[in-house]
Amino acid sequence: MNLRIDLHCHAFEPHTCLQQWQGSLPDQPAAESMFLGRMRAAATDGTPLQALELEHYPGMTERQLHHLASDCCARHGVGSCLIQHRVGRVLPGEAIVLVAIGADRRGPAQRCCQELLEALKHDAPFWKREWRTDGTSAWLSGNTPL
Amino acid sequence: MSTRAHPPLEQGSTIEVLLFAVLRERAGWERRRVPLSPGICAAQLWQALGLGAGDLPSTVRVAVNQAFADPLQPLAAGDELAFLPPISGG
Repeated sequence: MNLRIDLHCHAFEPHTCLQQWQGSLPDQPAAESMFLGRMRAAATDGTPLQALELEHYPGMTERQLHHLASDCCARHGVGSCLIQHRVGRVLPGEAIVLVAIGADRRGPAQRCCQELLEALKHDAPFWKREWRTDGTSAWLSGNTPL
Repeated sequence: MSTRAHPPLEQGSTIEVLLFAVLRERAGWERRRVPLSPGICAAQLWQALGLGAGDLPSTVRVAVNQAFADPLQPLAAGDELAFLPPISGG
Protein backbone atom coordinates (compact mmCIF):
# COMPACT_ATOMS: atom_id res chain seq x y z
CA MET A 1 0.00 0.00 0.00
CA ASN A 2 1.32 3.40 -0.99
CA LEU A 3 0.89 5.73 1.98
CA ARG A 4 2.13 9.30 2.33
CA ILE A 5 1.53 11.43 5.43
CA ASP A 6 2.88 14.93 6.09
CA LEU A 7 2.31 17.55 8.77
CA HIS A 8 2.84 21.14 7.62
CA CYS A 9 3.93 23.91 10.00
CA HIS A 10 3.25 26.52 7.31
CA ALA A 11 0.62 27.03 4.64
CA PHE A 12 0.68 24.35 1.94
CA GLU A 13 -0.73 24.36 -1.57
CA PRO A 14 -3.06 21.32 -1.64
CA HIS A 15 -3.28 21.01 -5.42
CA THR A 16 0.50 20.98 -5.75
CA CYS A 17 0.73 18.28 -3.05
CA LEU A 18 -1.96 16.27 -4.82
CA GLN A 19 -0.20 16.55 -8.15
CA GLN A 20 3.15 15.51 -6.67
CA TRP A 21 1.57 12.54 -4.94
CA GLN A 22 -0.22 11.45 -8.13
CA GLY A 23 3.08 11.70 -10.02
CA SER A 24 4.85 9.56 -7.43
CA LEU A 25 2.47 6.59 -7.71
CA PRO A 26 3.87 3.61 -9.60
CA ASP A 27 0.52 3.02 -11.34
CA GLN A 28 -2.20 5.55 -12.00
CA PRO A 29 -5.33 4.43 -10.09
CA ALA A 30 -8.57 4.09 -12.07
CA ALA A 31 -10.48 5.93 -9.33
CA GLU A 32 -9.46 8.73 -7.01
CA SER A 33 -11.40 10.45 -4.27
CA MET A 34 -10.22 13.48 -2.34
CA PHE A 35 -11.33 15.85 0.39
CA LEU A 36 -9.92 19.30 1.01
CA GLY A 37 -10.81 21.21 4.18
CA ARG A 38 -10.05 24.92 4.59
CA MET A 39 -10.29 27.23 7.57
CA ARG A 40 -13.61 29.04 7.89
CA ALA A 41 -13.69 32.82 8.19
CA ALA A 42 -16.34 32.62 10.92
CA ALA A 43 -17.12 30.39 13.91
CA THR A 44 -20.26 28.24 13.90
CA ASP A 45 -22.13 31.06 15.71
CA GLY A 46 -21.09 33.55 13.03
CA THR A 47 -18.35 35.29 15.01
CA PRO A 48 -15.61 36.50 12.62
CA LEU A 49 -12.33 34.65 13.07
CA GLN A 50 -8.81 35.95 12.72
CA ALA A 51 -6.97 32.63 12.90
CA LEU A 52 -7.06 29.04 14.02
CA GLU A 53 -4.39 27.52 16.24
CA LEU A 54 -3.83 23.83 15.61
CA GLU A 55 -2.01 22.03 18.40
CA HIS A 56 -1.05 18.36 18.21
CA TYR A 57 0.84 15.64 20.08
CA PRO A 58 4.15 15.22 18.20
CA GLY A 59 4.97 11.56 17.79
CA MET A 60 1.52 10.23 18.62
CA THR A 61 -0.05 12.25 15.80
CA GLU A 62 2.15 10.65 13.16
CA ARG A 63 1.73 7.17 14.64
CA GLN A 64 -2.02 7.51 14.93
CA LEU A 65 -2.45 8.88 11.40
CA HIS A 66 -0.40 5.98 10.07
CA HIS A 67 -2.43 3.49 12.08
CA LEU A 68 -5.80 4.97 11.04
CA ALA A 69 -4.82 5.17 7.36
CA SER A 70 -3.35 1.65 7.21
CA ASP A 71 -6.39 0.17 8.92
CA CYS A 72 -8.94 2.06 6.80
CA CYS A 73 -7.16 1.38 3.50
CA ALA A 74 -6.82 -2.33 4.28
CA ARG A 75 -10.51 -2.64 5.13
CA HIS A 76 -11.55 -0.98 1.86
CA GLY A 77 -8.86 -2.67 -0.22
CA VAL A 78 -7.51 0.56 -1.69
CA GLY A 79 -3.99 0.95 -3.03
CA SER A 80 -2.85 4.46 -2.21
CA CYS A 81 -3.47 7.16 0.36
CA LEU A 82 -2.35 10.74 0.92
CA ILE A 83 -2.86 12.76 4.12
CA GLN A 84 -1.63 16.35 4.44
CA HIS A 85 -2.49 18.17 7.67
CA ARG A 86 -1.66 21.63 8.99
CA VAL A 87 -0.43 22.43 12.48
CA GLY A 88 0.32 25.82 14.01
CA ARG A 89 -1.40 29.10 13.17
CA VAL A 90 -3.82 28.82 10.24
CA LEU A 91 -5.45 31.78 8.50
CA PRO A 92 -8.95 31.90 6.96
CA GLY A 93 -9.02 30.20 3.58
CA GLU A 94 -5.84 28.23 4.15
CA ALA A 95 -5.94 24.47 3.73
CA ILE A 96 -6.16 22.48 6.97
CA VAL A 97 -6.46 18.94 5.69
CA LEU A 98 -6.17 17.05 2.42
CA VAL A 99 -7.08 13.38 2.15
CA ALA A 100 -6.82 11.54 -1.16
CA ILE A 101 -7.42 7.88 -1.93
CA GLY A 102 -6.54 5.91 -5.04
CA ALA A 103 -8.36 2.67 -5.81
CA ASP A 104 -9.60 0.45 -8.63
CA ARG A 105 -13.23 1.56 -8.23
CA ARG A 106 -15.09 4.68 -7.12
CA GLY A 107 -16.97 2.95 -4.28
CA PRO A 108 -13.98 1.92 -2.19
CA ALA A 109 -12.20 5.21 -3.02
CA GLN A 110 -15.09 7.39 -1.84
CA ARG A 111 -15.99 5.30 1.19
CA CYS A 112 -12.37 5.06 2.36
CA CYS A 113 -11.83 8.80 1.90
CA GLN A 114 -14.89 9.72 3.96
CA GLU A 115 -14.21 7.15 6.64
CA LEU A 116 -10.56 8.10 7.02
CA LEU A 117 -11.44 11.78 7.24
CA GLU A 118 -13.92 11.13 10.04
CA ALA A 119 -11.41 8.87 11.80
CA LEU A 120 -8.68 11.49 11.81
CA LYS A 121 -11.11 14.19 12.93
CA HIS A 122 -12.02 12.16 16.01
CA ASP A 123 -9.05 9.91 16.72
CA ALA A 124 -5.87 11.79 15.80
CA PRO A 125 -4.57 14.07 18.59
CA PHE A 126 -5.24 17.53 17.16
CA TRP A 127 -6.81 20.45 19.02
CA LYS A 128 -8.22 23.63 17.51
CA ARG A 129 -8.36 27.02 19.16
CA GLU A 130 -10.33 29.77 17.45
CA TRP A 131 -8.91 33.28 17.62
CA ARG A 132 -11.59 35.90 17.13
CA THR A 133 -11.04 39.29 15.56
CA ASP A 134 -11.54 40.97 18.97
CA GLY A 135 -8.44 39.15 20.30
CA THR A 136 -10.26 36.60 22.45
CA SER A 137 -9.94 32.87 21.88
CA ALA A 138 -11.51 29.53 22.79
CA TRP A 139 -10.51 25.88 22.45
CA LEU A 140 -13.05 23.86 20.50
CA SER A 141 -14.63 20.98 22.35
CA GLY A 142 -15.42 18.91 19.27
CA ASN A 143 -15.88 18.86 15.51
CA THR A 144 -18.35 20.67 13.29
CA PRO A 145 -21.39 18.52 12.32
CA LEU A 146 -21.03 16.22 9.33
CA MET B 1 22.23 10.60 61.33
CA SER B 2 22.71 11.23 57.64
CA THR B 3 22.47 14.79 56.41
CA ARG B 4 22.51 13.74 52.78
CA ALA B 5 19.68 15.12 50.68
CA HIS B 6 17.29 12.75 49.00
CA PRO B 7 18.75 11.54 45.70
CA PRO B 8 16.95 12.69 42.56
CA LEU B 9 14.25 10.34 41.35
CA GLU B 10 15.54 7.95 38.76
CA GLN B 11 13.62 7.61 35.53
CA GLY B 12 12.86 3.98 36.37
CA SER B 13 10.74 4.95 39.36
CA THR B 14 8.82 7.74 37.69
CA ILE B 15 6.51 8.44 34.79
CA GLU B 16 6.26 11.48 32.54
CA VAL B 17 2.86 13.22 32.44
CA LEU B 18 1.89 15.44 29.50
CA LEU B 19 -1.04 17.83 29.17
CA PHE B 20 -2.37 19.42 25.99
CA ALA B 21 -4.46 22.39 24.90
CA VAL B 22 -7.13 23.43 27.41
CA LEU B 23 -5.89 20.95 30.05
CA ARG B 24 -2.37 22.40 29.88
CA GLU B 25 -3.63 25.96 30.22
CA ARG B 26 -5.97 25.10 33.08
CA ALA B 27 -3.22 23.30 35.03
CA GLY B 28 -0.49 25.81 34.20
CA TRP B 29 2.05 23.15 33.22
CA GLU B 30 2.79 21.04 30.17
CA ARG B 31 5.09 18.23 31.25
CA ARG B 32 5.93 16.83 34.66
CA ARG B 33 7.87 13.83 35.94
CA VAL B 34 6.06 12.24 38.87
CA PRO B 35 6.90 9.36 41.21
CA LEU B 36 5.20 6.09 40.34
CA SER B 37 3.12 4.52 43.10
CA PRO B 38 2.78 0.75 42.57
CA GLY B 39 -0.40 -0.17 40.71
CA ILE B 40 -1.55 3.40 40.13
CA CYS B 41 -3.56 4.11 36.96
CA ALA B 42 -4.21 7.26 34.94
CA ALA B 43 -7.64 7.85 36.48
CA GLN B 44 -6.12 7.83 39.98
CA LEU B 45 -3.24 10.03 38.91
CA TRP B 46 -5.72 12.56 37.49
CA GLN B 47 -7.07 13.04 41.01
CA ALA B 48 -3.67 12.81 42.74
CA LEU B 49 -2.34 15.62 40.56
CA GLY B 50 -5.42 17.75 41.19
CA LEU B 51 -6.17 18.08 37.50
CA GLY B 52 -9.92 18.31 38.00
CA ALA B 53 -12.53 18.67 40.70
CA GLY B 54 -13.61 15.02 40.61
CA ASP B 55 -13.15 11.85 38.62
CA LEU B 56 -11.47 11.79 35.24
CA PRO B 57 -14.14 13.21 32.88
CA SER B 58 -15.41 10.88 30.16
CA THR B 59 -14.45 13.53 27.59
CA VAL B 60 -10.75 13.31 28.53
CA ARG B 61 -8.92 10.45 26.85
CA VAL B 62 -5.70 8.86 27.98
CA ALA B 63 -2.64 7.86 25.98
CA VAL B 64 0.19 5.73 27.31
CA ASN B 65 3.42 5.73 25.32
CA GLN B 66 1.66 7.59 22.50
CA ALA B 67 -1.22 5.15 22.04
CA PHE B 68 -4.79 5.38 23.38
CA ALA B 69 -5.11 3.40 26.59
CA ASP B 70 -7.61 2.37 29.25
CA PRO B 71 -7.55 4.94 32.09
CA LEU B 72 -7.74 2.08 34.58
CA GLN B 73 -4.70 0.29 33.20
CA PRO B 74 -1.86 0.17 35.77
CA LEU B 75 1.06 2.35 34.74
CA ALA B 76 4.64 1.12 34.48
CA ALA B 77 7.93 2.81 35.32
CA GLY B 78 9.14 5.01 32.47
CA ASP B 79 5.69 5.33 30.85
CA GLU B 80 4.73 8.52 29.04
CA LEU B 81 1.17 9.33 30.09
CA ALA B 82 -0.86 12.01 28.31
CA PHE B 83 -4.28 13.40 29.18
CA LEU B 84 -6.05 14.39 25.95
CA PRO B 85 -8.94 16.89 25.92
CA PRO B 86 -11.69 16.49 23.26
CA ILE B 87 -10.07 16.09 19.86
CA SER B 88 -10.87 18.39 16.95
CA GLY B 89 -8.77 17.43 13.95
CA GLY B 90 -9.24 17.79 10.22
